[in-house]
Amino acid sequence: MKIKLSRREMLEALGGGMGLFGLAGAFSGWSGGEVHAAGLGNYTGPSLPAKAKHVIMIYLNGGPSQIDMFDPKPALFKYAGQRPSAVDLRTERVTAGLMPSPFEFKRYGRNGVEISELLPQLATVVDEMCIIRSMYTFNPTHTPARALLHTGSVLATRPSTGSWVTYGLGTENQNLPAFVALASPGGPMTRSGFLPSEYQGVNFPVNDPDPEKIIPNITNKKIDAAAQRVDMDALLALNQSYTKSFGADQFLEGRIKSMETAYRMQFEALELFDIRKEPQNIRDEYGPTPFGTGCLLARRLVEAGVRFVNVDYPGGQIWDDHRDVADNLRKRCPDMDQAAAALIRDLKRRGLLDETLVVWGGEFGRTPVSESGSGRDHNPYGYTMFVAGGGFKGGISYGATDEFGFKAEQNRVSIHDLHATLLHQLGMDHTKLTYRYAGRDFRLTDVFGEVVTDILA
Amino acid sequence: LENGNPIYQLQRDASGVNNLGTGELMSQRHSIAAIVGAAVALSIGSPLSAQTTDVEFFEARIRPVLVQRCYSCHNSKMAAPKGELILDTKDGLLKGGTHGPVLAPGNPGESRLLKVLSYTDPLVQMPPSGKLADAVIQDFTQWIAKGAVDPRASAPANASASPQYKGMSLEDGRKWWSLQPVAAHAAPKVAPAQGRPVNKVDTFILTKLAEKKLQLSPQADKRTLVTRAYVGLLGFKPTYEEVQSFLNDSSPSAYENLIDRLLKSPHYGERWGRHWMDVARYADDNPSSEATNPPYPFAWRYRDWIIESLNIDMPYDRFVKLQLAADLMPDAKREDMRALGYVGAAPIYHHDLRLSGDVIGTFLTDDWDERIDAVSRGVLGLSVACARCHDHKFDPVTTKDYYALMGVFASTVRVERPMFPVDPDAEQEYMWLQRKLFDLAYSINLLGNEGTTFTNGAEKAVKWKAEMEGLKARATTNLAKYPQLIQSLDKYWNPPRRAAAPPPAAAGARGVKPAAPAAVAQPPRPGAPSTDPYMNGVFEAAQYVDASDPTYTWITYKPGEVRNMPVLRAGNVAAPGEIVPRGFPAVLAKGADTAFKNGSGRLELAERLFTDTAALAARVMVNRVWGWHFGKGLVATASDFGTQGDKPTHPELLDDLAARFIEHGWSLKWLNKEIMMSAAYRQSSKPRAEGLQADEANVLLWRQNSRRLDAEAYRDTLTRSAGLLDLKMGGLPGDIDEDDYYRRAIYGRVSRARRAQMLGLFDFPEATQSAPGRDITTSTLQQIYLMNGTFIQNLAEAAAKSAAAATGEAEQIGMLYRRILARDPTAAEMKNALTYLQKGTLQRFAQILLSTHEEIFLP
Repeated sequence: MKIKLSRREMLEALGGGMGLFGLAGAFSGWSGGEVHAAGLGNYTGPSLPAKAKHVIMIYLNGGPSQIDMFDPKPALFKYAGQRPSAVDLRTERVTAGLMPSPFEFKRYGRNGVEISELLPQLATVVDEMCIIRSMYTFNPTHTPARALLHTGSVLATRPSTGSWVTYGLGTENQNLPAFVALASPGGPMTRSGFLPSEYQGVNFPVNDPDPEKIIPNITNKKIDAAAQRVDMDALLALNQSYTKSFGADQFLEGRIKSMETAYRMQFEALELFDIRKEPQNIRDEYGPTPFGTGCLLARRLVEAGVRFVNVDYPGGQIWDDHRDVADNLRKRCPDMDQAAAALIRDLKRRGLLDETLVVWGGEFGRTPVSESGSGRDHNPYGYTMFVAGGGFKGGISYGATDEFGFKAEQNRVSIHDLHATLLHQLGMDHTKLTYRYAGRDFRLTDVFGEVVTDILA
Repeated sequence: LENGNPIYQLQRDASGVNNLGTGELMSQRHSIAAIVGAAVALSIGSPLSAQTTDVEFFEARIRPVLVQRCYSCHNSKMAAPKGELILDTKDGLLKGGTHGPVLAPGNPGESRLLKVLSYTDPLVQMPPSGKLADAVIQDFTQWIAKGAVDPRASAPANASASPQYKGMSLEDGRKWWSLQPVAAHAAPKVAPAQGRPVNKVDTFILTKLAEKKLQLSPQADKRTLVTRAYVGLLGFKPTYEEVQSFLNDSSPSAYENLIDRLLKSPHYGERWGRHWMDVARYADDNPSSEATNPPYPFAWRYRDWIIESLNIDMPYDRFVKLQLAADLMPDAKREDMRALGYVGAAPIYHHDLRLSGDVIGTFLTDDWDERIDAVSRGVLGLSVACARCHDHKFDPVTTKDYYALMGVFASTVRVERPMFPVDPDAEQEYMWLQRKLFDLAYSINLLGNEGTTFTNGAEKAVKWKAEMEGLKARATTNLAKYPQLIQSLDKYWNPPRRAAAPPPAAAGARGVKPAAPAAVAQPPRPGAPSTDPYMNGVFEAAQYVDASDPTYTWITYKPGEVRNMPVLRAGNVAAPGEIVPRGFPAVLAKGADTAFKNGSGRLELAERLFTDTAALAARVMVNRVWGWHFGKGLVATASDFGTQGDKPTHPELLDDLAARFIEHGWSLKWLNKEIMMSAAYRQSSKPRAEGLQADEANVLLWRQNSRRLDAEAYRDTLTRSAGLLDLKMGGLPGDIDEDDYYRRAIYGRVSRARRAQMLGLFDFPEATQSAPGRDITTSTLQQIYLMNGTFIQNLAEAAAKSAAAATGEAEQIGMLYRRILARDPTAAEMKNALTYLQKGTLQRFAQILLSTHEEIFLP
């Protein structure tokens, strides 16, 4: 059955509140109502009052060590080198005794939240951060755990959070992709799975700030803009005459619009993706690194109406510190800390933080016990993530791991709970954001997840 | 917030690692009791005095173990104690569970409890997280021998049976429309005023249209017809000459002759092969392609087999049977075993063998679940996979049915099989050795990895290496007749060393060739496409998880044996229930006997698909073929013919075509022709006011559906328009994102990890699961690709170069029109083009023509 309303119209009619749904144009695709109406199933658009409109997900691939960054455990000094029998500290690899963090923790912000010396910049914006110290997930291996973080399932088929969010809310800027991934290896981070392919994340590298290196084919290397206009007009004439001879057709008309948008988009995107257009002091604030580029670009994209941005700390699975964790963090934290803090500060200054959820974390954390003398093993049992903005409480730490920082104990927050809470802040009930596929209404949170209301402002 | 993810929960406790997601009862819908409490120190082996009474013995040695290691899954307060076994009451322990009694007081040898505790039962090993200490097992033996004295309360608490989702009853299920037999229907009588049917197909369409006072649209013009036929059967648009030859053929059989000729073209198999590859979720690699799930080097041979089989119009039933069970079919030739790529190159997960037995067990069931899903949705249009966790809520498929199917795939192991003849015993030995050596080589490599540590690593290394050497001797003896096979195993004993890899190309920079070829010849990456004489297939062997070493999990392969799976409560491998013999789902079976008797049962499964469920299989395929010709099927949900799917718009037509498809020996070429000869297919796709008004969605087919070309047809048509299409068939896959890849799109490497950029842009489906159809989107990125992409610029350059040979701009423009749009320009178009050339170039004009609606659109 074809539904006469386009999906956008439908969402507008049903959604309420959010106003700007734009699924029908540009990057977000032009698929007519049918495909979506079929899959839409019981989904009727966002139903809750939304606090946030955008998400920036900062992903530290490999599993950053919460013990050294966010979760101070004095008991580790007392029991250094030992394996107290009260807690089973076993993980998949052989580990030795408890290894205290060599990094000093101090209290910051109005509530005196403890943060390690590795993160002096984030410490300055702690009042914007809701630090969840009681995260847990369900798999100790990178690939499935990564899939859990990004899709809520270990299966290699499920759509990513960004796809769900853009499916649920549409886009604000029809000239831009609604879901962008920066420096992402793809896979679960950008996968649309069974959702229509228009909800797939569009991936851009950021190792070079030159937008021509970031967006393939964004510039025509052969002719200038004026000549391109001439060509575009000639093409337009041919397409219009073809459309006229065929008769009214959604695809043909949509494609003409899409071409016109694409022509404009080239210049707009070239401008938008060019962080070199930022004042020097802003660029300095983020730092001259690929991750700095990613974070700054994320801010520019969100400002321009992109719904969901994944920013990876570039370099692959490098937070996987099975050895030399302290030395590695000393090297890796400064630019991460600087850019992540700059992003929060900058969003705040521009009044964007309230409507933007900044999520920070890895697929799991690391053990308090040592591995190979100087490293730490994977730890999905208890680890830290933080969320800034988007109506989350700031300046707090929530939940707690056990005495040694191994297992989440108080106010445990599963990865499904986090997903449910993020969707809640975006105005969507996670049990109602569904897509009908293979005879079933699928959800980001499957049959799990509870909104963690304690951490919402 | 104590939700757990049942299937992926890690459940290691005292002897193993930690629990994840404690919470005794999780979401009620998928409730599974996790083993509560992480570390519990058991006091074992402390000497008890001789005076210890039996009761004291129980209290000191038995009860604590039961409490700490068993109660959490087997207690009377649970809605669904695992295996229906209750261990916190005396009666429960005496009564036993789904497999019957577990305790024979006084007789340890007869007590299944002991067998299960000592991990000698291959199916049920308790506690699932790791074997109890020998001393504890000894205590149990002693306790049972002395009469199993149990002072606990007798009366069990009120343990109600688990509330299960009950789907439709079997009886109601068997009445479901898609499961009914098919029979040819008499053609409905069509009054002349309703329109003129060309063949039987039309009579059904016209009858439905008449109900809404609609008629078919007039036949499309001949140019449109020949274009449709080329795209429909070969997957690219016709050239100018091909169009002309059809336009100039005024014989009454011109159209039929065209269809017949195209059906005989070898490129037919490429087009229809690609359709099937969507359903078969064909790919050359795996979603993550890690150490234990590297890419498939010989998947391309499966792709070539598909193409060849469709070209010879292999009957569809045989086509599917070979893909499931060629190795078991006596009349299958060795080259037909390439078909086994359907199972042997299916998506699989990485199995990090350092993970617990439960996690590895879960990964294996994920793999087998994928096979069930691919077959059930792909061939039968039924989603069976819901029954993994509970009886299907809507369709009459039970968990028993599901695990009966899972046993088939638990008894089927993926392997590389030789293309050359090998006697069966030697081949079996080779395949087992290959699997075993693969796992050992992987494990030994892990030991050498920096950052990886093992419990007793040094000891393990010695043991595993010795095992490898032992297998070498075994291979040398047992495969003596086949040095080539021994040679192919050498990579496990002597892993090729690769020089440090060059830095990976930046994401998004695909299609950029490395600056210079590597100076030193590198051994191929594991899984790199290969022309070695092997194929990715499967063989018959039962797979088990061996978790007897709590620090390292092995997968065992038992050739020639089968494995019946237990029903896994809520899909949890740690909660096995009743064991179900391999068999066909009851609701689908004809007759009461559902059991598979031979080997894994793959061949019986394949056969029953085309006997017991022949009607459904035929309906599903007829509907797919219809959808590939009309843009959508008679049933809109092509892979869901169950209660959650759509009903057919033209049930009699679907039935009739399905019945005649079977009658015509499951001939896809017959079916294609029958559909394409119809007036319904041949009608114009242009909008008509009365049609739009009465039936805007064109459910009744008052016009053909116009479409954008799919990714492959578009790329092939563009390349052909530029005169660059290389029609060489078959062989190793290439990188379609390379600008100078000019072969047909079907020969591009299909990656489950990373879709080719161009194909993804135009809605190529993800190959991780069977795709029921294609989305058709229009996006700005597509247009940017056409405006600025080097691929399209190269095509334009080639087209312009050949047109430049003509004298005069008008002639050059004419040539470009003929080459790209397969027609001459109109006078007005010529005039506009000449005006354009005052500012632009011939090459740019070629690019404009390549980017037109006319090129990408199929009216």
